[in-house]
Amino acid sequence: MRTRALVHLATLNLRSDRRGALVNAGAACLGAAALVFFVALGIGVGQAARRMFAGDARLVEVVPAAVSLGGALGGGQLDDGAVERLGGLPGVEAAYRRLSLRVPVAASRAPEGVKVNWPPGFTVQVPIVGVDPGLLAGDVARGLRFEDPPPGGAIPVLASRRLVEVYNKTIAPAWNLRRLPPGLDLVGLEFPVRVGFSIIPLKTEDRVYDARLLLAGLSERVPLYSLAVPLATVRRLHAEYGKVDPGYTGVTLEVRRPDDVPRVVAAVRGMGFGVDEGERAIAERVGLAIAVTAGALALLALLMTALAALAIAQSLSASVRARTRDIAVLEALGATAGDVRAMVLAEAGLVGATGGLAGVALARVAALVADRAALGALPDFPFRPETFFSFPAWLYVLGVAISLGAALVGALAPAAAAARVDPARAVA
Amino acid sequence: MISLRQVVKRFRDVDEEHVVLDRLDLEVRAGEFVAVVGASGSGKSTLLYIVGGLDADFEGEAVVAGRRLGELGARGRAAFRNEAVGFVFQSFNLLPALPAVENVMLPGLFVPPGRPAPSLSELRGRALEALEQVGLREKAGRLPARLSGGERQRVAIARALLSRPALLLADEPTGNLDATSGESVIALFGGMVARGMTVLVVTHEERVSAAAGRVLHLEDGRLR
Repeated sequence: MRTRALVHLATLNLRSDRRGALVNAGAACLGAAALVFFVALGIGVGQAARRMFAGDARLVEVVPAAVSLGGALGGGQLDDGAVERLGGLPGVEAAYRRLSLRVPVAASRAPEGVKVNWPPGFTVQVPIVGVDPGLLAGDVARGLRFEDPPPGGAIPVLASRRLVEVYNKTIAPAWNLRRLPPGLDLVGLEFPVRVGFSIIPLKTEDRVYDARLLLAGLSERVPLYSLAVPLATVRRLHAEYGKVDPGYTGVTLEVRRPDDVPRVVAAVRGMGFGVDEGERAIAERVGLAIAVTAGALALLALLMTALAALAIAQSLSASVRARTRDIAVLEALGATAGDVRAMVLAEAGLVGATGGLAGVALARVAALVADRAALGALPDFPFRPETFFSFPAWLYVLGVAISLGAALVGALAPAAAAARVDPARAVA
Repeated sequence: MISLRQVVKRFRDVDEEHVVLDRLDLEVRAGEFVAVVGASGSGKSTLLYIVGGLDADFEGEAVVAGRRLGELGARGRAAFRNEAVGFVFQSFNLLPALPAVENVMLPGLFVPPGRPAPSLSELRGRALEALEQVGLREKAGRLPARLSGGERQRVAIARALLSRPALLLADEPTGNLDATSGESVIALFGGMVARGMTVLVVTHEERVSAAAGRVLHLEDGRLR
């Protein structure tokens, strides 16, 4: 039987049993809708979590061990020798040094060029970490340089991309400050600071002078709680204030592939150093929790789809039994057993495809309603997503395919039964 | 057109075997109108189903419309039923959910592979023509339930004519009809034979056998 004729006949049969077809399509629709909804929720929440706990999957943060026996077991301080050994580990592409600035730096005025209702007498201590410029090279704005400036020059700094979001969503409303413009609009601004000044009593250095920080870019590789300056700047300031550097605060290892990370982490620990899993660990735990929850819900949805397949199987079996004589008549008119089987499968296929399309549409509508309800109920917090769902194109295809597949699987036995009808007996 | 030689058909009960057709011979020439009469249960319908390729479980030789039925597989028999034979049943066997025209179109949906398949609109046109031939064009859109018994049988005849088969097989075609409707069906058969079609009808009604050119009696599994 030609495809056109097959579809025509299947459509006629479905039309003759509208109620059954609608019930079957409804079952397939619910299964597909639940599956698409929960998978979209899992993907969407996962993406939101990744935005919240952004981390580069190829970076390993090495820190001195919490308890160290010095160099006796190969661990201890993160000095240049240790950095060299870490950089030579298999799978490590580069090792970038980090050194926290131990000279206090504070900001008592608003950044130049930005209208912020800075409260009188308000001073912010600015945590600063010096890093090898190579770590942030990709995030420095075009035309700006990330290197220790000549005397009197503004010190280039990079801030966390997420800092603006956190400031706008928490600090600004709490302190009644003006919100900052998004992202790159801030790059190039200069912040007046006082080097050597601390808001903590007795921590201010003997020498305090004014300087300027120049925002040279935003980066995910800068910790949320600090600004990054060139390592050479930290060393210079430490030398100016007579601070001795026994070793680096940390070393960031860039590995070739994310898959290499566990092996590198094990090797680092084997060398007697610690690994600060910080946000990455949170992101991994959150991601795992989301994946497990979404997986369980998707499994539930698959179960619903399997139940839909059973419902379709039962309904089609009853329909085939009721239509035994009609099927025999079709065979008397020239239908082969294959035609009859194809006809029943086509009926199921049409039901499944229609149910799947309706299910995908239902999932989108349900997601819209859920988003509106959730966003209306939740307070405005940093990285609050605009939607908790993500619908990649493959998910639509999956929704329809699963529904279609379930319907076809459900129709296999009834189709086989229909193909076994003996026309000579049935038409008699 | 039909040549049956030494055809034997057995039915097996639980532990008993019944011979329904016993070394039966039948010759029907093209363009003949032949009626087979016999008592209920004598095997008339079984004979018709063997000739029509619906029942392949028999012994002996059957050549119908140039095809050796014993040598055809399931697909071959389906193609044979679609192209060479038109069936008319006592209980009409129309699909109740389909309008008359869709019922008539059905054989056109099962055109065997390798043959040109008509489009749905062509098929509809041919179905309407067939309904015209039986005088029911104006009722093409009606469901079988909204047609009288005679009209339903005429729709069934139109369906049998759609593929323009050489042979029409009718199983008690007037069994469920009143006298007037039965007459109109018999008249239709007469018209078909006049146009060169072969008609084999099994019946126990005298008015049908009276219209046939030849009447055969099926008794004890053989034709006399």
